[in-house]
Amino acid sequence: MNDSTNTNPLTRMRGGYTSFSDSIHDRWATAPRWARWVVYLLLIVLAIALPADGIGSFMSPYTDWPTLLFFPIGGYILLAIGLNVVVGQAGMLDLGYVAFFAIGGYGMAVFGTKYGWSFWEILVVGVLLSALSGILLGAPTLRLRGDYLAIVTLGFGEIVRKTANNWNYIGGPNGIGGIPHPPTLTEWTIPDNGLFDAIGIGGVQPFKYGALDGKPYYYLMLVLIILAIVFVKRLEASRVGRAWASIREDEDAAELMGVPTFKFKLAAFAIGAAIGGAGGVMYASQAVSIIPTNFPFILSATILAAVVLGGSGNLPGVILGAFLVAWIPERIRGLQEYRVLVFGAVLVILMIFRPEGLLPSRRRKAELAEGEGGMGSMGAEVGGPVTVGAGEGVE
Amino acid sequence: MLLEIKDIHVHYGKIAALKGVSVEVDEGEIVTLIGANGAGKTTTLKTISGLRPLTRGQILFGGKDISKVPGHKRVLMGIGQSPEGRGIFPGMTVVENLSMGAYARRDEADKDLAEVYELFPRLAERKNQAGGTMSGGEQQMLAIGRALMTKPKVLLLDEPSMGLAPKLIQQIFEIITEINRRGTTVLLVEQNAQQALQVAHRAYVLETGKVVKSAEASALLDDPQVRAAYLGGGAEAAAGPGD
Repeated sequence: MNDSTNTNPLTRMRGGYTSFSDSIHDRWATAPRWARWVVYLLLIVLAIALPADGIGSFMSPYTDWPTLLFFPIGGYILLAIGLNVVVGQAGMLDLGYVAFFAIGGYGMAVFGTKYGWSFWEILVVGVLLSALSGILLGAPTLRLRGDYLAIVTLGFGEIVRKTANNWNYIGGPNGIGGIPHPPTLTEWTIPDNGLFDAIGIGGVQPFKYGALDGKPYYYLMLVLIILAIVFVKRLEASRVGRAWASIREDEDAAELMGVPTFKFKLAAFAIGAAIGGAGGVMYASQAVSIIPTNFPFILSATILAAVVLGGSGNLPGVILGAFLVAWIPERIRGLQEYRVLVFGAVLVILMIFRPEGLLPSRRRKAELAEGEGGMGSMGAEVGGPVTVGAGEGVE
Repeated sequence: MLLEIKDIHVHYGKIAALKGVSVEVDEGEIVTLIGANGAGKTTTLKTISGLRPLTRGQILFGGKDISKVPGHKRVLMGIGQSPEGRGIFPGMTVVENLSMGAYARRDEADKDLAEVYELFPRLAERKNQAGGTMSGGEQQMLAIGRALMTKPKVLLLDEPSMGLAPKLIQQIFEIITEINRRGTTVLLVEQNAQQALQVAHRAYVLETGKVVKSAEASALLDDPQVRAAYLGGGAEAAAGPGD
């Protein structure tokens, strides 16, 4: 791709970026274990220092930076990690992912306000509830593929929102208010001295979940994100991950290798849903009140855009994508009504330069080149009378 | 009888793709299904391997009815398939593709891997290349090798000659004969009837979802009707035997 003879400047820039990211990728792949841990540690320190005012004044001049970091940025990242399991790893196109976010959110609201459960209990229940709803949606529909599955999931997202809108027990269009915050774990304050001040977190009470300070919520989200990353990463390297990769790349061939494709697709759906549900519980516990319009279709689309933009299937890419998709619209708030227009233009430009995503996995590149294994193959592939068997079988 | 297909019917929606196909494959044989595009050859294979449900009929494998057994379990019973269009995992390397073949197995697969490399030295040379970037012939070898990694009792091959140069086709068929000589039963679907009939012991001719003829492969090679329809014999073409 990096042929210097090509006169098209766009192609040349694209090529330059590709070879740059490839060299980073190579270096990372050959880096020793300790070097990787150092990088992980630095990233965590960076994430802890991120809400500092100094960083915030540049990153977010218009809104409260720690709150922004919690949601949308942290929330989108968590959702993108979950959706990436479904879309990026198992290769199924899910357009109704917001449904699981909503189920988690409403779970928090209902159990918190009507039953007086605490956040920690509801987090567990909410995750299980979302996973269960993922299985309930998946079991009858996962025999569909590609576009057909996308349409069904799209419908599911709408059904959940409409149900919330019309069900008086959960407040109908007015939603639920007075959702409790997580109980404060400790009033402990980070000491106000040199080191902590230097990274801007001196004087913060990281485990006190009140109405004012966004930082403790952000840290809670950070913990959840790290747990999700570790969990998903471990799965990816396991037999489950191999099965997902084979399903994504060629579902029929996977079945012929003895992979129980249906079971693994269902598992991907349930795990993705569980992570989305965890995001929903977190979101509702900070937001105090939620209404059905907090969970619109456009949120599903935005998270999907984050996954694709960042590099579907590659975790660092997906996280970067989610960060940008959440952050850019807030950063350019000063443009007022032109904000969404500029945001759209930025997305289009990014996709022109990097059609395979900002940080794609190398494997994904090979898959795209083959025209297979994109998002649920992106093509109609279903046991209908039209497309089966490429001309064979139908008289 | 190792594999016995009794009067199977398969539908895509309302359209009948197979209208009562019966095929028998005995242990140690190479049996081929030939026929034109759309005759139902691929559908027959997909139904045997469990990718397609059947609406009527029965599939017996080793005397056991497997009509309702899901595809991934049939692999463990000993049905391996190299699918239509090869079905390589494009993002996986050659080794990763081959080891997917051993995915469901609990035993060591090293010996089988060595055997596949021995049959296809080309694959050994390209171990770490991504499957999607290989040539058509190499992909076909990979597809067959991957199916062999499932340790099949019967190997289903769907159009192994499709899209390959004549010289490669020759080579692939030689390897199929070799695989069979080593003890694997082969059910071969081909449009290249000439080649298929030369390596097979017995053959079935499929037309619009039905078996219209079945005989020894050598007998079909001399059958005037078959020659006219599938071997380029008859009035329009002059492709003689042994070209």
